[in-house]
Amino acid sequence: MIRFEHVSFGYPHGETTIEDLSFHIKKGDFIALIGANGAGKSTVSRLCNGLLRPLSGHIYLDGQDTLTTPTSLLARKVGFLFQNPDRQICENTVEAEIAFSMKVQGWPDDEIRKRVATALETFDLKGDWFPFNRSRGERQRIALAGVLACEPQLLILDEPTTGLDYLECIHIMDHIRMLNEEKNITVLMVSHDMELVQDYAKRVLVLRDGKLLGDGPVKEIMKQEALLRQARVLPAQIPSLALAFGDRFAEVFTIREMHEAILSEKKGDPGRKL
Amino acid sequence: MNLLNYVPGNSFLHRLNPITKLAAAFLYGIACILCDSIWMELAFIVLMIAICAAAGLGTRALRLTRNLLILGLFMFVLQLFFVRTGEALVTIGHFVLITTGGLTSALLLSLRVVATMLPLMLLFAITPMNDLCNALVKKAHLPYRYAFIITTAFRFVPLFSTEFHEIQDAQKARGVDFETKNILRKMQLVAPLCVPLLVSSLEKVNSSAISAEMRGFHLRSRQSGYKEYPFTGSDLLVFVLLLALVAFSAVFL
Ligand SMILES: Nc1ncnc2c1ncn2[C@@H]1O[C@H](COP(=O)(O)OP(=O)(O)O)[C@@H](O)[C@H]1O
Ligand SMILES: [Mg+2]
Repeated sequence: MIRFEHVSFGYPHGETTIEDLSFHIKKGDFIALIGANGAGKSTVSRLCNGLLRPLSGHIYLDGQDTLTTPTSLLARKVGFLFQNPDRQICENTVEAEIAFSMKVQGWPDDEIRKRVATALETFDLKGDWFPFNRSRGERQRIALAGVLACEPQLLILDEPTTGLDYLECIHIMDHIRMLNEEKNITVLMVSHDMELVQDYAKRVLVLRDGKLLGDGPVKEIMKQEALLRQARVLPAQIPSLALAFGDRFAEVFTIREMHEAILSEKKGDPGRKL
Repeated sequence: MNLLNYVPGNSFLHRLNPITKLAAAFLYGIACILCDSIWMELAFIVLMIAICAAAGLGTRALRLTRNLLILGLFMFVLQLFFVRTGEALVTIGHFVLITTGGLTSALLLSLRVVATMLPLMLLFAITPMNDLCNALVKKAHLPYRYAFIITTAFRFVPLFSTEFHEIQDAQKARGVDFETKNILRKMQLVAPLCVPLLVSSLEKVNSSAISAEMRGFHLRSRQSGYKEYPFTGSDLLVFVLLLALVAFSAVFL
């Protein structure tokens, strides 16, 4: 789906932000891009849809080089949700806001109308709302609805859940997982919340100072505490607790698994204290 | 790079009193306006660049000059065709396109614009906004409220430009094609960006106002600042030199 080949990038008048980065994301994968503040996560996500272009190396999106394809064309394949929905929202009604991308990309009117109606229902929104004075969570849902309405093949989320309450966060992430599983949409999620990452992502890319520190299935990365510490991110609580309990807990990732593991420990040796 | 931000330093220019810097920039500008000779305007520009180079701001001065020259070029072209005095210089058939008077007055005007603006722009490189604001309150007895408005306005300019670019990026990511060459089409595309820009600006201004109020903005008076801005001998020297320059320019040039 998307392939980075020896990509380097630096902002004008700054140092190199991304250095010789290579990776490949397959269609239908759910990737989490993690790292501390300033590691270059947002920069990588902006490289993916041509908002930034590599200074050296190449990025291929479905075989198209982002160096030679205009962002407006890449936008048909890549949906991008910004951290701050207010940057994106520019229309006076929720309806118009959701239709915006499709209009720009020249979709037929009746198709737009159909999709707006579906989106309003899915995200529990009202078409005639004035978007600017809704709550933060609602604005994020409006922005996401606008992005998802045109069914991008690659969905990029830059810290999608900052400032949302826990339930809103789960609601949005569950929907994204559903799209990933049922519609085979590739997801690249930038996040520094390891709990979220371990609950939703399949594969994790660890970034530190613009270099790839680790890359692997989420369960493997979550168990590598030294790696996470090196990347300056806080490990998720349950896997890190399980790690402290030793090898017998190697397969424990969730509270439920932890509970079961403790029960079976007790069964084997009732007097044992953990 | 932002050509209007402060460049930290400890040169003789940096060490002057902020009020002296402001006054000097204005006086230099006045001298340039009073001057009526193309060569002297050029000399003013070169002198300013030389002074800046001596203070370690040479590249900044050159970059600013280049940008101002673009503005100057615009004035030059306008003036060139509208002033019709003097002898014909370029003619198309019987129609006189450019006259000698047009050429000299266009040159003079555009150079004057550059020479006048340059010191004012360089003022930002050598003066932190806060110092200028405090000195204006303490020495020039400007009410703090107004000094604050001026300095805050300047502080917000780079913020707004960042914000604008982010908003534009968001639109690009949704498929708006800003890479068009057509000016009309471009304006059509940029107009809707004003809505999110306005929303975020109002939000920022509002929260700034609240936080200023919470930290006792209304209690602030002339005595409030802890930093003093004394005038020194070099300030006096600069004043005298620049007043002399203005007088010289008014009488002789
Ligand atoms: N517009 C910009 N101009 C200059 N430098 C930037 C810009 N945006 C980010 N940077 C720098 O690039 C580095 C990576 O930033 P970013 O990709 O935003 O990190 P993250 O999203 O992981 O927090 C940081 O050191 C930051 O200072
Ligand atoms: Mg970021």
